[in-house]
Amino acid sequence: MKTILRSIAAAALALLATHSFAQDVPTLLKAADRYRVGSENMQVDTLISVFNADGSPDKERRYTVFAQAKHQSLVLMQSPAEKGQKVLMLGDDFWLLMPNSQRPLRITPMQKLLGDASTGDIATMSWAEDYTGTVAGLEDCGEPKQPCVHLSLAANRKGVTYQRIELWLGKAKHEPLKAELYVQSDKLAKQARFVTDKAAAPTVVTEMVLQDQLTSKKETRVRYLARKEHSVPEAWLNPMFLARNPALE
Amino acid sequence: MIAKRTGMSVKQRAVIGGLGALLALGACGACLAADEFSGQTRPSWTEQGANPNGPLAQAAGLNSGIATVPRSGATLETELRASGHGLSGTVTLQQQRLEGTAARSKAWVNELYAATGSGGWQFSAGKRIVAGDVGYGFRPNDVVQQETRRTLLASTAEGRPLLMAEYFDASTAWSFVAVNPSKPRAQRGAEEPAFAARMYQRDGAVDWHGFARYGAHTGGSIGAAAAWVANDALELHASLRYLNAADSTAIDTATVGGSATGIVRSNPWADAKVRHATQLLIGGTWTNAEQLSVLAEAWWDGTALSDAQWSDWNARNRQLAALVGTPAPTAAVAGNLAWQANAFGASSNLRRTNLFMRVSWTLDKWQPAIDLLYTPADAGRTLTASLGWQGDRVRVDAGLRVYGGPGDAVLAQLPARRVAYVAGTWSF
Repeated sequence: MKTILRSIAAAALALLATHSFAQDVPTLLKAADRYRVGSENMQVDTLISVFNADGSPDKERRYTVFAQAKHQSLVLMQSPAEKGQKVLMLGDDFWLLMPNSQRPLRITPMQKLLGDASTGDIATMSWAEDYTGTVAGLEDCGEPKQPCVHLSLAANRKGVTYQRIELWLGKAKHEPLKAELYVQSDKLAKQARFVTDKAAAPTVVTEMVLQDQLTSKKETRVRYLARKEHSVPEAWLNPMFLARNPALE
Repeated sequence: MIAKRTGMSVKQRAVIGGLGALLALGACGACLAADEFSGQTRPSWTEQGANPNGPLAQAAGLNSGIATVPRSGATLETELRASGHGLSGTVTLQQQRLEGTAARSKAWVNELYAATGSGGWQFSAGKRIVAGDVGYGFRPNDVVQQETRRTLLASTAEGRPLLMAEYFDASTAWSFVAVNPSKPRAQRGAEEPAFAARMYQRDGAVDWHGFARYGAHTGGSIGAAAAWVANDALELHASLRYLNAADSTAIDTATVGGSATGIVRSNPWADAKVRHATQLLIGGTWTNAEQLSVLAEAWWDGTALSDAQWSDWNARNRQLAALVGTPAPTAAVAGNLAWQANAFGASSNLRRTNLFMRVSWTLDKWQPAIDLLYTPADAGRTLTASLGWQGDRVRVDAGLRVYGGPGDAVLAQLPARRVAYVAGTWSF
C-alpha cells in the first residue's frame, strides 16, 4: 500500500513539475539560447569538422556568422574551397552570393540545406524566436545521466531548417544537452548533442555534435571558436550590397 | 584582355601582362598582410574534336591553312585576389600550350578599383565587374558586364573601366555607372561608352530589378527583371529588355547579290545594327530535399540573326560548296566559306528562340550535372555532361559537350563538334 501511495505521490509531483515548466516554455528556451548566444546581435566564428561513419576525417569548413535580431543572419564562408561565398537569411528569404559573380542568387529553403551542416545549423542561434512548444516530460538524459526537461517544439515560421525539434535541457540550469531535429517531411534528419565549457556549472555551449540520420550517417562537429556582440550596418543585410564583395570584417 | 587590345607580340603581351599583374598586387601590397589575399590555380586539359560539317570545315578541307581549326591543349591558369585599404584587385596569369603551336603566356587584370563609402552611398572607380539580372543561360539585363554564359569551367569575368555611385538601404539599392568613359564613342559591343542605372527593390519573396542604359551610339534601352521564391522548392524568374539598337554583324546582301557565283573579293560580313529589339527570358529552379535540382529556361533574343538570315546563310553555304570542282578558284571558294563563320559571332545567342534545361545533383562532395540547349527553329542542340568533386582545398571537374542537330542546324555547323575537359583547382 505504501509503495502504491509513494508511486502516486511521485507521479503527482512529476505532473506538477511538468505543469509548472509548461507554463514557461518561452522562458526555458530563452535560458537555453543564452548558452549559445549572449545577445540579440552577435558575431560567431565557427569551425565545422565532418567525420565519416568510420570516424575518419572528411572535411573542415570555417564560417563567420552575423546572427542579428528579427531572424536575420549573414554567413561568410572562410575556408579556401568556399572563400568569398555568402548566404544571407532574412526571415524566410534567402540569397546565395558567389565570389566571381556580382549578382545575388535568390534561393529556396530547400537550396539552403547545404551539405552535412546546413546553413541553418550554423546560423540559427535562437530557439525562443523561432519555436513554440510544450513540455513533454521530465526525464534523465545526457552523459552522465542527469535530470532533464524534455521539450517538444514546433517552428512558428516556415523558413527554419527544422520544422520540429525534440529538445532536452538540464533541469537545474536549463543548458541544452541534446536534440532531435526533424525536417518538413517529419523525418528525423539529425541528432544533436551539446558540449558545454563546464559540465558542473555550464556557462556556454562550446560545441554542437550532429549525427546525420538521413543518408550519410556522418558526424558533424560545430565548434564555436569566438563570440562577440556585433550589430551590423543596415546595408550589410541588403543582398545587392553584399554582391559588391565589400570588406565585411 | 591586355593582349587583344594592344596587338603586341606574344612575348610582349606576357611580359606586360605579368607586370600588370604584379603592379595590381603591388598597389595593394600594404594591405596583403592586414586584409584579404586569396587565389586559385587551375591546370586543365581540353580536347576538341573538329566538326566535319559546316562552312569552316569545308573551307579547311579546300585549303588547310585558311581557317583556324579547334585545337586541344593544356592550360594553367592562376588567379590572385587581394583587397584592403579601399583597393581591390584580381589578376589572372595564363600559360597555354595547344597542339601544333608554341606555348604562350599572357596575363590580364580582371578587376582593379578603389572604393569608398559615406552613409548609404558607395563610390568606386577603376576596372570592375558589375553584373546583374536573374537568368542562368542568358542575361538580357547584364547591361554593363555582359558575361559569357554556359561556360564549361567557371572563371572570373573581366571587368569594365567605370565610375560608379551606389546607394543602399535595408531593402533598396540604386546604381549609377559610367562604363568605358574614356573609350571612343564608336567602340562596339561591351566596349561602347555608356551610362547605366539599376534599381533593386526587395519585397518579401520577390526581388525586383529595373535597368536603363544609354550607349554612345546604340542609344537607350530599358529592362526589368524579377526573381520569386514561390514555395520551399520552387524559384521562378523572368527578365525583359527593350533596346533601341544593338551592335551586330550582317552580310552585305548587295555585294553578295551582285555576284553570279556568290564569290566575292572581300569579307561580305560587316558591322551592323539591329534596331528595336526585344530580349526576354523566363525560367525556374526546382530543388528537393535530396539536393536534386532542375533548372528550366526559355528565352528570346531579338538581337540574334533572324531565321531568314540563317536561311540565307545556309543557302549561301550550299551555293559556295556547289562551286567545288567547277572552274571557280578553290582558294576563293575556301575564303568565302571561311568568311561565313563570321555569323557565329553576330550576337551572344546564335538563334533567337532558345530552350535550356539543366539537371544537377549535390551528393556530398560530388556534383553531377547534365544540360541541354535546344534551338527549336532548326532543332540544333548542345548537350553537356559534367562531374565535379569538391575537397577542402582541391576541386576536380570533368565533362563533355557535344554539338549536334540536323545538318543545316547552326549548332551542328560550329567549328567544334565536341569538347571534353578535365581540370583541377587548388584554392589558397
